[in-house]
Amino acid sequence: MPRLILTTIIFFICKLAYAQQSPDVPADFMRSLGKIYVVVGVIVIIFLGLVFYLWRLDRRLTKLEDQNH
Amino acid sequence: MDGLIRKSWWKWLGVALLVYVFVAGMLIPLKPNVPLVSHAFDRPNNKLILDLTGYNTQFTQQAEETRAWLCFPDSLRPHISSRSISVTDDQQARLTFDLPASLPGDEDFVSLSLIVDGSVDGAYIRPDAVRLARVDFEDVSDNQWNYDKITGLNELSRMTFPARRIIEETIRNTYFHVALWLAMVILFTAAMVYAVRYLQFQKRSESGAVIPVKNGLDLRKRADLWSLALTEAGLLLGVLGLLTGFLWAKYTWGSYWSGDIKQYTTMVALLIYSAYFVLRSSFKEPEQRGRTSAAYNIFAFVLLIPLIYILPRLSENSLHPGNGGNPAFGSQDLDGTMRMVFYPAVLGWTLLACWMASLRFRLSQMQTKIDEKWEEEEWPVAEEAKSNVIS
Repeated sequence: MPRLILTTIIFFICKLAYAQQSPDVPADFMRSLGKIYVVVGVIVIIFLGLVFYLWRLDRRLTKLEDQNH
Repeated sequence: MDGLIRKSWWKWLGVALLVYVFVAGMLIPLKPNVPLVSHAFDRPNNKLILDLTGYNTQFTQQAEETRAWLCFPDSLRPHISSRSISVTDDQQARLTFDLPASLPGDEDFVSLSLIVDGSVDGAYIRPDAVRLARVDFEDVSDNQWNYDKITGLNELSRMTFPARRIIEETIRNTYFHVALWLAMVILFTAAMVYAVRYLQFQKRSESGAVIPVKNGLDLRKRADLWSLALTEAGLLLGVLGLLTGFLWAKYTWGSYWSGDIKQYTTMVALLIYSAYFVLRSSFKEPEQRGRTSAAYNIFAFVLLIPLIYILPRLSENSLHPGNGGNPAFGSQDLDGTMRMVFYPAVLGWTLLACWMASLRFRLSQMQTKIDEKWEEEEWPVAEEAKSNVIS
């Protein structure tokens, strides 16, 4: 399973690198379309932060459950 | 707050507000504008040619009725109006101006603003559209500067966000980055209030009063746990604010970290707050831990306000709006349409963070109760074991 996840991640990184080389995409991806991808990046960061919090809560609950049994 | 913890209406309210913020914040377009203006001279005819590249413009739909002026920046007077406009497509148009005979005033250079007006896109201004020197004006023209006020401009009927150079679409980050910081301050304030309550209960218990118990825990312990949960959620918002700020700064100010005063002070404030958790973990005894961390939380809040609000405003220069002599969010930057999204965004992020904090609170409440139960059960066992050893 971890190998599959790694393969998928590498695949998408390669895909992204390839997409940036194609001629119809501007040289700077983040600055294209009026810098809208900066907003997308900001939202992704916030989403990952919320997921991090959820993960921490999950760990703490696991600890509590283990203690209780 | 304790009564609301099991209610769900405010959690839904927070989520609904954020859904509204995401939909409205991402779908409302920017005001039409011309980010790129390049100019050329048509010398024997004494003409100035401007090539416009529009953003969100619909030049073809208003081709005949588009009007344009080049005007002096401050009072928009004097001005000259365009002689002709030729539209290539919705984003490309060419304006031709007859240059007047001379440049008024005694400056050698002038930076002129461009006003474009049409029935579809409304009227909009592009500051610093073209820079002309005194030598660019030749005394062969019969066109004169017009000192009348420009009248009859169209109003845009669509809802739009302001269009600003450099910022462009990232003005939408106001609902994510800026609102996050405000939500953080609200959470830290609430954490400070609970820290004060802890110390009040502490004082009352020292003078011999019995502290009321609620849901199996006395109010003093609950105040401590609330303070912890709110500080933790607030710190998460702060770290996210800093990280999103890095990304935004990279594409508007040029680098992830510009050594800006507000970047430094918020970093310091967040470090002070993260020391709160280090401090907590260094005490085993709950009472000592509660008292010290409550005092530290109040101290951190007292530092937070000057660090993020007062010092940046006092400093000589800052990139952040509203600091170091920069104009704050004026009516042009945070207009009515943006306020309609910004205030719900602050409330939505605050409610979401409170939800997160309440989950953390319930978890640590359960943890504390279990720990106390264990201690109660273990004590008699330990005593028994001791007496067994002695006998």
